[in-house]
Amino acid sequence: MNRSHWGLLGASFLILTMAIEFCCGAQAEPGGQTQRDRESALVAVLQSDAPKAEKALTCKQLAVVGTAKSVPALAKLVADPELTSWARTALEVIPDPSADAALRSAMRSLSGRSLVGVINSLAVRRDAKAVEGIAAHLSNADLQVASAAAVALGKIGGNTAAQVLERALASGAVAVRPAVAQGCILVAEQLLEAGRDGQAAALYDKVRTADVPAQRVREAIRGVILARRSIPLLTEQLRADDEEMFRIGLSTANELASADVTESLVGALDRVSPARQALIVLSLAQRDDDTVLPTILQAASRGSKNVRLNVMQVLGRIGDVTCMQTLLDAAVGADTEISEAATRALGALADPKVDAQVTTRLTHANGRLRATLIDVVGLRRIQAVAELRKAAGDADPAIRSSALMALGATVSLHELGYLIERVTGPQYQRDTKVARKALLTACVRMPDPEACAAQLSSAMSGSSLSAQSALLEILGNVGGATSLATVGKAAAGDQVELKEVASRSLGKWMTPRAAPVLLELAQPTADQKYRIRALRGYLRIARQMKRTDAQRAEMCEQALKVAARDDERLLALKVLEIHPSMDTLVVAATARSIPSIAGDARRVTRAIAQKVGGAAAEVLKLVENEGFSPAKIEIIQAHYGIGDDTKEVTQVVKKSVGRLRIVSLVSPDYNTSFGGDPAPGRAKQLVVKYKINGAIREASFMENAPIILPMP
Amino acid sequence: MTVSEKIQASRRRFLKTAVHASTALAVPQFISGSALGYGEAIAASDRVVVGGIGIGNRGTYDLGCFLQQEDVQFVAVCDVKQTARSRAKATIDEKYGTKDCQTYRDLRVLLSRDDIDAVLIATGPNWHATAATMAAKAGKDVYCEKPSTKNITQSLDLAKVFRRTGRIFQAGTQRRNLPHFEFACELARTGKLGKLRTVYAHPAGMSTVSSGWATPEPEPAKENVDWDLYLGPAAWRPFNKQHLDGFNFEKGGGMVGGGVLEWGSHCVDLCQWAAGADTTAPVKYHPPQDGRLEAFYEDGVKLVIRGGGWMPLGSCPVRFEGDDGWIETGDSGKFVLSSPDLLAGREVEEIGGYPATFHVRDFLNCVKTRLAPRASAEVACYAHIACHAANIAIFLDRPLTYDPLKNEFVGDDQANRLRSEALRAPWSI
Repeated sequence: MNRSHWGLLGASFLILTMAIEFCCGAQAEPGGQTQRDRESALVAVLQSDAPKAEKALTCKQLAVVGTAKSVPALAKLVADPELTSWARTALEVIPDPSADAALRSAMRSLSGRSLVGVINSLAVRRDAKAVEGIAAHLSNADLQVASAAAVALGKIGGNTAAQVLERALASGAVAVRPAVAQGCILVAEQLLEAGRDGQAAALYDKVRTADVPAQRVREAIRGVILARRSIPLLTEQLRADDEEMFRIGLSTANELASADVTESLVGALDRVSPARQALIVLSLAQRDDDTVLPTILQAASRGSKNVRLNVMQVLGRIGDVTCMQTLLDAAVGADTEISEAATRALGALADPKVDAQVTTRLTHANGRLRATLIDVVGLRRIQAVAELRKAAGDADPAIRSSALMALGATVSLHELGYLIERVTGPQYQRDTKVARKALLTACVRMPDPEACAAQLSSAMSGSSLSAQSALLEILGNVGGATSLATVGKAAAGDQVELKEVASRSLGKWMTPRAAPVLLELAQPTADQKYRIRALRGYLRIARQMKRTDAQRAEMCEQALKVAARDDERLLALKVLEIHPSMDTLVVAATARSIPSIAGDARRVTRAIAQKVGGAAAEVLKLVENEGFSPAKIEIIQAHYGIGDDTKEVTQVVKKSVGRLRIVSLVSPDYNTSFGGDPAPGRAKQLVVKYKINGAIREASFMENAPIILPMP
Repeated sequence: MTVSEKIQASRRRFLKTAVHASTALAVPQFISGSALGYGEAIAASDRVVVGGIGIGNRGTYDLGCFLQQEDVQFVAVCDVKQTARSRAKATIDEKYGTKDCQTYRDLRVLLSRDDIDAVLIATGPNWHATAATMAAKAGKDVYCEKPSTKNITQSLDLAKVFRRTGRIFQAGTQRRNLPHFEFACELARTGKLGKLRTVYAHPAGMSTVSSGWATPEPEPAKENVDWDLYLGPAAWRPFNKQHLDGFNFEKGGGMVGGGVLEWGSHCVDLCQWAAGADTTAPVKYHPPQDGRLEAFYEDGVKLVIRGGGWMPLGSCPVRFEGDDGWIETGDSGKFVLSSPDLLAGREVEEIGGYPATFHVRDFLNCVKTRLAPRASAEVACYAHIACHAANIAIFLDRPLTYDPLKNEFVGDDQANRLRSEALRAPWSI
């Protein structure tokens, strides 16, 4: 409960306190004296002159913990138009039958919206004893009340409710009939769930033949199809002129897995418009039924474009090797959209026999078919490197491009050299772009990024500037230590074109490893343009990546030291502000001495101090009085407790200390931070033995005191 | 350009125009515009006629996504705030170069129009489930913003109503239709990571919130702000303009709103998808410790909802870990894999900024095909239940056991009572 936050605008703190105690107490002492006392206190609020806000929130508490004892007080509030639903929230869930009785009683005296609410609550509680009383309201002059009564009867269900609703459907007021139909549907649904299919179907039939809104008729048709497994009725909908009837037929068919439903869909395929055929194909494809494949294959050759497109798509998902010829025919056909859909489908076929078929056909294929099969080799990652290399030297540029892309998808590390060569020394100038793309595709999927980066790095020397730029971009995508070294070297080098690519790549590096490289590039001796870019990349790592508080603070400290402009200094302050800790507090406080950003540094210092609390004030004092220079600290041992009742907490303290002599525990409460109280009720101490700048010291702290390790 | 390049480029175009649908089995699936019959000029009969309910900040964004779709005709908007109605009408009329968009204060009037096929619901969360079920009963298909329900009972009712009416429902959890999230979930779901062990979600806060009762202020004229309709199914309280921020008003179940629900309806939903748990929910929930809430599915997969420890991959990150590998991704559109082999030669489009265009397209496709969209009522039901159950564990600050077949907590009466709350009359689901 202590983690809960109540956004109570003006509500009583008293209620909040009671709620907290109540839930925790109720768990600790179920049914005990304390719980009863607490419930009495809440009931007393309802019976008092307390403001409505307090009563409302008290109702919510009673929804969690109220018993029969709360019911009378809650029942009184049901008549209050402003508090009625607050009270009903509790009455709907209190298990005691007195809650039903109270609601039934209220039903006799209320009118209008309050009555509607009470009827709705009785429906939620499915109070069978309320059926007679609710039924009487079917003829209420207030249409909202009568309609609520009809739906409530449907929710409660049972024979009596069903009979009342059937009568009302046949001879009740016309205005209430839509709600009565809804009630009937609800009763029928319960009958269906209970396995009373015949009764359910009979009731659904009554609704679908009544003069009720079209949506109710559709629901009833669905119900009849489900209850009777009525294929004729399903087929009728699939062939109906009314689009909505077709839709309910189709969605109902999707709910049913049986073979006769599949047959109904297949049978409808020849008798409906092309637009509907396309939808039926999709519906067939999602049935887990192998028998639909021949039907779908047939549709591939004779259907309209819409149908054929859907067929290509679904064959990729449900097809097997027998679909290959159909798909290849479509893939080399004139219609680009169908061709691409068919090629995608060939790439997606799950049948493992397809790979062998593709390889065999490739050795004999020519022209368009050859290019298509090469694309499929790439999409399926079939190992056919020798054949692909041969094709990559083909006179036809389309085949060369397909082959290069397929190589990108399939080569292993020891075959990578071929693609590198195609980038660094292209045989055909027009292949440059696709060769680079293929190499990138290959490199980012290599299981050993370091080995891959080594090959790329060694290819840098002797290559043209353009090729080196391409290799650097790819190295940036590969990542790892080798890539970082090569990219870092290029960023620090003299070639402007390479510096540009490399510095951008470093700015987007995905690991903190790039931080020292970026810091080096951000030094005052570096080129101004790249220096700023590097510093921003460095601060991006400090802001976004996983760092300890101490590491992040140190990075900001370094950034503040090397920054030449206030823009970057302010960025560093921003990082400090969004990662508040004792470590970042010290850096922000120290930054107050930089005149051009002193104001911002003061604001950030205040913000951090406010967030971290605890020892912040003392830390700030130390910064102001003596500076707060980093120190090399090693925790040797730490104990918490008193006398014999102590526990070792060395590891916790070790994890919580940075380089600034501050131990930042997860909570200012020692017992929480150290995993429990070793000596309940007694004053305890934390004793820390540590090494600071080479000297061994020991310090003691009273329980919950801020922990700042003294200097030697 | 090679055919394979064309296919990749075409897929990109395809994603950009968002012609994209899924099946009831949540198998990623693409349906071309031509396949749905609107590759060229779109006949009036092929247009989906849409109305909007609650077009505030998020609604305005969603409206833009709908207006981008060539087969949509947006004809009406409903909002209890006059300024929102006028603004939305101006946007729609400008798009079509007409003055035809009708405005309504009361959603019941909009829903009574027979010419409207589908509605966009982007009210405050207080209204979502009630408005969505009203729309379904009125024969409309529904795209509804998240969180779509206020409690466990509403989640179950939502699924039931949409099943009964045969209408299409898409929750506004648009990350289900972004390639990097799809890819990550697919890796986990199809065993590419080995036996799945742990799925991680980022909740962006775990405090439970109740909207409470603010200091009364004079109620504005009904035509400007209809306070009674704004409250709708929420328990009555006096007008206070601070409540008019639908984002913060009655976000969850009144008693236990907020919590992990706001973002969990996205990222816990993705974890559900990854764990192949679209029709169930975790069975054990532990209250948070050190910023981590742990829950467990029946098959032992652990769901960790945690605030920290994420890679810099943007907001709403998720991470899935199996015996043989892991993947982490977020709203940047980028992802990090334990091994590049997991890509298996695939190119996953990088789309940052979590646009809803693709999700809206998926919805519209399903309006036409009658297949289930990615975030159907069934899927949304259990993703929301997982969040509500976690919130109840946070609120009660004790471990809970949930039975997803009976949809009740085991041996905890207080937790069970928190599964629902009364709706203010005359509203009901």
